[in-house]
Amino acid sequence: AARAFASLPRASRAFERRTMSDSSATTNANYGCEGELCNFGWVEVLTHISPYWWGNLGVAFGLGLSVLGAAWGIWITGSSLVGAAIKAPRIRSKNLVSVIFCEATAIYGVIIAIILMTHISEPEARFSRIQADSWDWNTFFYAGYAVFAAGLGVGLTNLASGISVGIAGSSCALADAQNGDLFVKMLIVEIFASALGIFGIIVGIIMSNDAEFPE
Amino acid sequence: GAPWRLLSFGARAQLCSSFSIPIRCGADMSHGGLTTFNIDHGFVEAMVRGFRSGFLDDNDYTRLQQSETLEDVKMNLKADTDYMGFLDNDNELSPALVRDRAVSKLVEEFEYLQAQASEPLYTFMEYIKYEYMIDNVMHLLKGTLSGRSPEELMAQCHPLGMFKESTMRAIPTFESSPKGYADLYQTVLVDTPVGQYFDLWLQERQEMIANPGEMRSILDEVEVEILRNSILKLYLEDFYHYTQRLGGDTAEIMGHVLKIRADRHSINVTLNSFNTRLNDASTRASERSLLYPGFGYLYPEATQKLASCGDEGSLGEVLSMYTLYRPVWEVHMNQAFGGDSIDDAFYTQEVETLELAFESQMHFAAFYAYLKLKEQEIRNLVWICECVQQRRREYIGKFVHIFSLQSPWRNRSKS
Repeated sequence: AARAFASLPRASRAFERRTMSDSSATTNANYGCEGELCNFGWVEVLTHISPYWWGNLGVAFGLGLSVLGAAWGIWITGSSLVGAAIKAPRIRSKNLVSVIFCEATAIYGVIIAIILMTHISEPEARFSRIQADSWDWNTFFYAGYAVFAAGLGVGLTNLASGISVGIAGSSCALADAQNGDLFVKMLIVEIFASALGIFGIIVGIIMSNDAEFPE
Repeated sequence: GAPWRLLSFGARAQLCSSFSIPIRCGADMSHGGLTTFNIDHGFVEAMVRGFRSGFLDDNDYTRLQQSETLEDVKMNLKADTDYMGFLDNDNELSPALVRDRAVSKLVEEFEYLQAQASEPLYTFMEYIKYEYMIDNVMHLLKGTLSGRSPEELMAQCHPLGMFKESTMRAIPTFESSPKGYADLYQTVLVDTPVGQYFDLWLQERQEMIANPGEMRSILDEVEVEILRNSILKLYLEDFYHYTQRLGGDTAEIMGHVLKIRADRHSINVTLNSFNTRLNDASTRASERSLLYPGFGYLYPEATQKLASCGDEGSLGEVLSMYTLYRPVWEVHMNQAFGGDSIDDAFYTQEVETLELAFESQMHFAAFYAYLKLKEQEIRNLVWICECVQQRRREYIGKFVHIFSLQSPWRNRSKS
């Protein structure tokens, strides 16, 4: 049994439960790590982090960074809109479109968070009873990394998109207050800025399509 | 950067004071670029840009120029301009009254903007006010020399630069001499923001005050005009360095604006000194160079040459080398043929420079530009009123249009 154990690749031994009989054995049996806390090198650290951590962190980044970008954009454009509407009240309704564009990036964040959460599923078997050779480690790790990267990608693109729409919206409100003809043309700038968020969510969805945590 | 700006001003001040090593950490040093300017200043900036739409445009000026009497002017202003109703309570119209009411309206708008401002914009707007404080102090000092009453002088002070009434009453009581100014500073002005400039000026003239009899100088008594120019020079330098510390677009645009202002100051000092004792060949280089600001496009090479200029010819030679000021000088040379004066040329240049402040966003220069452009508009209005009142209609068009599509600098490429 020990030989079979030693023949498996290092990463696959990651989450084996250490039985009591091995407690006095060499530290090599600690989850297959060389260091006592599995920190003998970056490879050991990264491969001994649970893919559930990566997956849920991806959901958090996807939602959190998107909302951060949307909020940033809304206060950049909202403060200018409120100030400019004092002298030119006619711009109030039309320029709310800038705020709506910013809000859309937050909605992309919610969408990707929900999609990613449906990929993450708790396994039916108790984790401690996983048999090393019957668990689909490759899919497990792939799923973790894919969900993380999808979430992080969407979060960062929405952060950039939100700030960009905010700055463009602020200038749009000020320009519209001076000359109403400028509004529609400047709206096109904002449309291009919010397209950045759409790129992010498209790539995120495709990236996380094959990610399935094994049961 | 951005994380720093996201803290509140109080939090930043606390963090700065908790550093033990002397790093340059100012809680109010900068105002953030594109991404963080709007936290503190988005609302106020949007308001000042809303006020920009209140400038009189070409149609308004055309209607005003067709007025026959001052009552017509009042009616034309009531017709859908920003000046609606500012003369409603007055029946005896005169250009001076129009100016007073317009200045009150402008000051009200400026104070309203400053009330909404947070640091560092508040300090920036305070700096703008210092210039008017200096003007008021000089006005009070000068008026006393010609024996006018303090009440009359205080009524003529600019409302943006008012001190407490007790301070203003005390200023005319001091004598016009270096010793008198030292006393004035120590007892009255030390509490005011402009006291620091008097302090600097007094330090420069320390020898004159201590040994007035032994000091050989062309100024036996310091004229109020020279005092005024010196204090203004110190103020401009301080303001310039403050805008440079603010950094970003404010430093760039305000730097350009203030450099042109400083150069205008230098040129005017030189031009006005030609028939006075300041032009005395033996001492003019050392005395006059004290009045030139230590920054600007003319600094340092041209100001050195200007200090030793004896007449308009040499002044013209120096200015012809600078593309910014050659056209201004040419206007001055052509004045004899019935053209504009050098002041008109400077006003036109100022309007052209200040309009640039509204071309970009997320900086403070728009506040300075708004105040100065509104002042130019008030000068325009008063000019029109005076021409109408005196029936000199041929000069009624001699003012500078603001934000006009017909401005010469907008049509250069087409001509």
